[in-house]
Amino acid sequence: MFHQNPLPPLSRRDMLTRIGAGFGSIGLAGVLSESNLLAVPQQVETPLSVKAPHFAPKAKHVIQLFMPGGPSQVDTFDYKPQIGLNAGQRPELVDRKSLRNTKNGLMPSPFKFRQYGECGQWVSDIFPHVAECVDDICFIHSMHTDIPEHAGAMMMMNVGHLQPSRPSMGSWLTYGLGTENQDLPGFVAMSPRAQPRCKLANWGNSFLPGAYAGTYVNIHDMKPDQILHDLKNQHLARIDQRRQADLLTRLNQLHLKEQQRDQQLEASIQTMEMAFRMQFAVPEAFDTQQETQSTLEMYGDSEYAKGCLLARRLVERGVRCIQLSHSIDGYDIAWDTGHNDIAGGHKRLAEACDQGIAALIKDLKQRGLFEETLVIWGGEFGRAPTSEGQKGRDHDHYGFTVWMAGGGVKGGMSYGSTDEFGLSAVENRVHVHDLHATVLHLMGLDHEKLTFRYSGRDFRLTDVHGNVVTEILA
Amino acid sequence: MQRWVPLFFLIVLMPASVVKLPAEEIKAQQFSDEQIEFFESKVRPLLSQHCFECHSGKAKKLQAGLRLDSRVLAIEGGDSGAAIEPGKPAESLLIESIRWQAYEMPPKGKLKDSEIAVFEKWISDGAAWPDDQTIAEHIHTSGYDWKKWRSKHWSFQPVTLPDPPEVQRETWIQSDLDRFVLARLEAAEISPAPAAEPGELVRRIYFDLIGLPPSPQQVESFLGAWENDSRQAVSSLVEELLASPHYGERWGRHWLDVARYSDGYGGFLDNKANSEAWRYRDWVIQALNDDLPLDEFLKLQIAGDLTGSRDDAVATGFFALGPTYRSDGGDPDSVAQAKAETLSDRLDTLGRGMLGLTLACCRCHDHKFDPLPQQDYYSLAGVFNNTNVVEHPLVDQEIVDRYKQHQQAIQEKTQQINKLNQQIKQEKRELTAEEQQSLDSWNKELEDLKQTAPPKYEFAHSLRDTGSADMQVAIRGNLRKPGEPAPRRFLQVLSEGDPELFLEGSGRRQLAEAVVDEENPLTSRVFVNRVWMHHFGKALVRTPSNFGSLGEQPTHPRLLDWLTATFLEQGQSLKALHRTIMLSSTYQMSSRFDEKAYAIDGDNRLIWRMNLSRLDAESWRDALLSVTGELDMRRGGPPVDRIDNPRRTVYFKVSRNGDVFATDEFLRRFDFPLMRATIDKRPTSIVPQQFLFLLNSQFMTDRARALSARLAQDSASDEQRIRQAYEMLYQRPASAEEVEIGLSFLQELGETPQGLTAWQQYAQILLSANEFMYLK
Repeated sequence: MFHQNPLPPLSRRDMLTRIGAGFGSIGLAGVLSESNLLAVPQQVETPLSVKAPHFAPKAKHVIQLFMPGGPSQVDTFDYKPQIGLNAGQRPELVDRKSLRNTKNGLMPSPFKFRQYGECGQWVSDIFPHVAECVDDICFIHSMHTDIPEHAGAMMMMNVGHLQPSRPSMGSWLTYGLGTENQDLPGFVAMSPRAQPRCKLANWGNSFLPGAYAGTYVNIHDMKPDQILHDLKNQHLARIDQRRQADLLTRLNQLHLKEQQRDQQLEASIQTMEMAFRMQFAVPEAFDTQQETQSTLEMYGDSEYAKGCLLARRLVERGVRCIQLSHSIDGYDIAWDTGHNDIAGGHKRLAEACDQGIAALIKDLKQRGLFEETLVIWGGEFGRAPTSEGQKGRDHDHYGFTVWMAGGGVKGGMSYGSTDEFGLSAVENRVHVHDLHATVLHLMGLDHEKLTFRYSGRDFRLTDVHGNVVTEILA
Repeated sequence: MQRWVPLFFLIVLMPASVVKLPAEEIKAQQFSDEQIEFFESKVRPLLSQHCFECHSGKAKKLQAGLRLDSRVLAIEGGDSGAAIEPGKPAESLLIESIRWQAYEMPPKGKLKDSEIAVFEKWISDGAAWPDDQTIAEHIHTSGYDWKKWRSKHWSFQPVTLPDPPEVQRETWIQSDLDRFVLARLEAAEISPAPAAEPGELVRRIYFDLIGLPPSPQQVESFLGAWENDSRQAVSSLVEELLASPHYGERWGRHWLDVARYSDGYGGFLDNKANSEAWRYRDWVIQALNDDLPLDEFLKLQIAGDLTGSRDDAVATGFFALGPTYRSDGGDPDSVAQAKAETLSDRLDTLGRGMLGLTLACCRCHDHKFDPLPQQDYYSLAGVFNNTNVVEHPLVDQEIVDRYKQHQQAIQEKTQQINKLNQQIKQEKRELTAEEQQSLDSWNKELEDLKQTAPPKYEFAHSLRDTGSADMQVAIRGNLRKPGEPAPRRFLQVLSEGDPELFLEGSGRRQLAEAVVDEENPLTSRVFVNRVWMHHFGKALVRTPSNFGSLGEQPTHPRLLDWLTATFLEQGQSLKALHRTIMLSSTYQMSSRFDEKAYAIDGDNRLIWRMNLSRLDAESWRDALLSVTGELDMRRGGPPVDRIDNPRRTVYFKVSRNGDVFATDEFLRRFDFPLMRATIDKRPTSIVPQQFLFLLNSQFMTDRARALSARLAQDSASDEQRIRQAYEMLYQRPASAEEVEIGLSFLQELGETPQGLTAWQQYAQILLSANEFMYLK
């Protein structure tokens, strides 16, 4: 019977020879197609296959540097000398409702501001490295959102809705565009130690298919071979794993042959090969040991910087979307220490991310990836120019700053503004829905056309809102 | 009542009438040339530049129902009422909004003070406007034509009992059901697939009814009976499995999807555990095992707490286990938002789950496509607004009282101790000897109280009435902006004449009656369609939770009606419905591919074969444990949160966000949906993470070891073991080729130095194969 077998098993020696020729790149599909034995087409559509955008994109990847807790705009990138001139007073312009309805007067920033770059952007002293990059950055000073509470506002920023019941922006992007490297997840969310508040909802797929869920990585205790559940086989050497995988393909081929035609069964055979390759591609992508000393030094040794470096490695390998959230001391809304202490808290937080962020921008530029990668920095809202207690500031959803850099946005630009004290966005206001519409636009997607039918209606990231901010497009 | 509706409604369905406004408003008013000049040169340019994009007939999407391109419409206003009060700028919402007091308009940036002054002057001068032509285009509807809707849209029409059609191939007919299917196939010149092999059929029936594979002995016994009388064999097997207590575990799970059942832990705004959720799960399983008629089954889930029987309240877990949001900050906007979201969950689950209507769509405005005015939403929301989620004791009041008294005693004692301690601290002194003595004795008493405290009594999460008040329509879904009253009553489109008012308590008992009323054409159709879907993999209406205008039409409308009418006739018995469906040639077809039929109907909408379907996460895992002989078949009780627990998967602990337990992680990986909202159908996605589980997980290597050990017990040679494995796993003999493949794998490997033996590696692949995971 054996000689009649249409698909003779490969001998151990054959396998070894072929493995020697380059394991991950060949795999069974390569081996079988050489011998013309593969019955299914080489490429079947999987949920993460690359899909055509609606129009030519400006960027191919997104790196979102998310600052949960609400960094203060008037202590970072939105310079307001009028605060100092009116310290302690409470002009009508800033007499608006806040979360705790604090009634205090204006509090000058404890930090010095200086002008940088050709554009002359003012940046406070706590971001000296990012300050060097201002000519590559577009600052949107006129952001605003719906409510001054963390959870709801974080959801608004990351899923476009106040409740955690919608897909995240990264899920929408991978749903709309697929991803370039089928051996890596299409959407990776990372943070040092603490997950941002609302956890999974920030990178969740909600009602979109499971393939579009973000894969979460904790930078602090990450092990490259444990990035995904069950990534590493605990029992078998690679050669035995390959034999096992080949047997599985063989049985699934027989099953498919009997069924004659079935897209799902065909896809499953391809997907098993993807899983097999992932076992090696994922640990490689997350292994920063491969970087040169000078690169490692450029980023510095904070955990957030390591996340920045990983983000670059992932973009380099074709990952569509990365969400890198900030955290220190295991706090899930790190920038919220601003309630008590702007001077100390904001300084520490900025120190922990400033160098890594600047290095990311420089590194993307020197590798030619900057043009195709959109970097977004910001929190869920800002903080009021008036004081809370002695040294802190309360939440401010009326106005805050988000900046973008890279793929398709103008560098050295400031767009929109807050009032003279920095509380409310007044000129060229940009709602979070508008920001989302703009991000999708830069990625080649029309935010009104990227829809998913669920619960009897078509859903969008921007719900029924959103206008593309065309003025900032390069 | 006036309302905006999309244009196509007006054309297609609605009788339209011109809005009636007071005569003096319609009559063109006389303004001086100066006033008109001021309007044209100063006001209109500002309106055009800053307002018309969202508030005019040319707006891509009209915002807040407000138009500012006509004086009359501006006066009439939008969702928030009149925008201008001629002569009274201070009372005009337009002025408040451009000052950024009421709203922040225009949203892109505040107008200059000088521009605001223009508007103020214009309004205080009487808001002059030249001849107002726009009014003629301004159309409101006087209401819905309910009768027309009921006669035009298929799902609102009464259920009928159609005559089974004539067919040519009478020999194929086992049941009248088959006639509806075959007539369509014959019309399309497609032949039905041949009957499934008995081995395929027995596997299909076991998984279908109890979610488990048959053992080789059970297969053998079925095949024997089949030889004698194939019809009788199928019929007996169906009866046997319908009587199995494991039937409820399988079909109960289907309903738990509709009920978006979870153990709580929904994340930051509704993160509490529902520790007793399992009592509702067990209630559902038992109700299905008992074949509770559908109307009883649904009524108890809506209003079981009102029957007077203590245990019936458990059934209201259907609603009570859903998210009950709290607000994060406690400010009035957040509180209103949390309440609105909670009500939306109840309405969505009632609407899509039981009625096949997307009720949640009319929370902020009238439904865009279905005859569901926003008022109907708040009529039903009012029922749930008078309903609370409570811990419902399942024991005698005496036991509850004893527990509470004891807890109170503990609390009092604790307070007594704290009070003294605090006093000492405040007075910055040491305890006196006397005080020390009392403190010691109190502490001892507290310790004793704690020691002797009775355990928490048994309870269920259930609903309870809290009042009997109507809600008002929330303008644009904002509960802080109440509009017209919304009397509690059932949906207007499903009621002949004016719906009866729900005045009894919350109104849930009356709501329950309205949902299961046999005149209501939706409830039973929706349910029957779901049952069909679980048998065939694809439903007759392929949007099982949306029978509205945007849902799909049934592929076989007459068949759906015939099944529904038969179901009603048979006392709404689910088990009878299974018999009707399964004892048919349609159900017993094979899933064999056919080039010609595939070319005509690749999507199998005409049902020319059985659909090949992947086992859901529960059946697949249960099957793994079953073939290795490890499955723990005990039923009911609190959930388990480890995937290596050998209980059936229906007993897994599930968080609403799918991100808390290891069991969540496993389930989500295999397409178990997020239990945040009612589920219409399970997706089957194929992602690499599933294969990482198959190839690398501890769970799979453990099963591989167990299977290999089990095979080693019974069979001597490798070949015998391979053959036995195929019988056990796939319910069919291994082919010669398959035996060869197995033998060569085992022989070539020999003894592996580490990890798994050759047999264990082989067993792992047999368990991971598609044939094990798919049903033909």
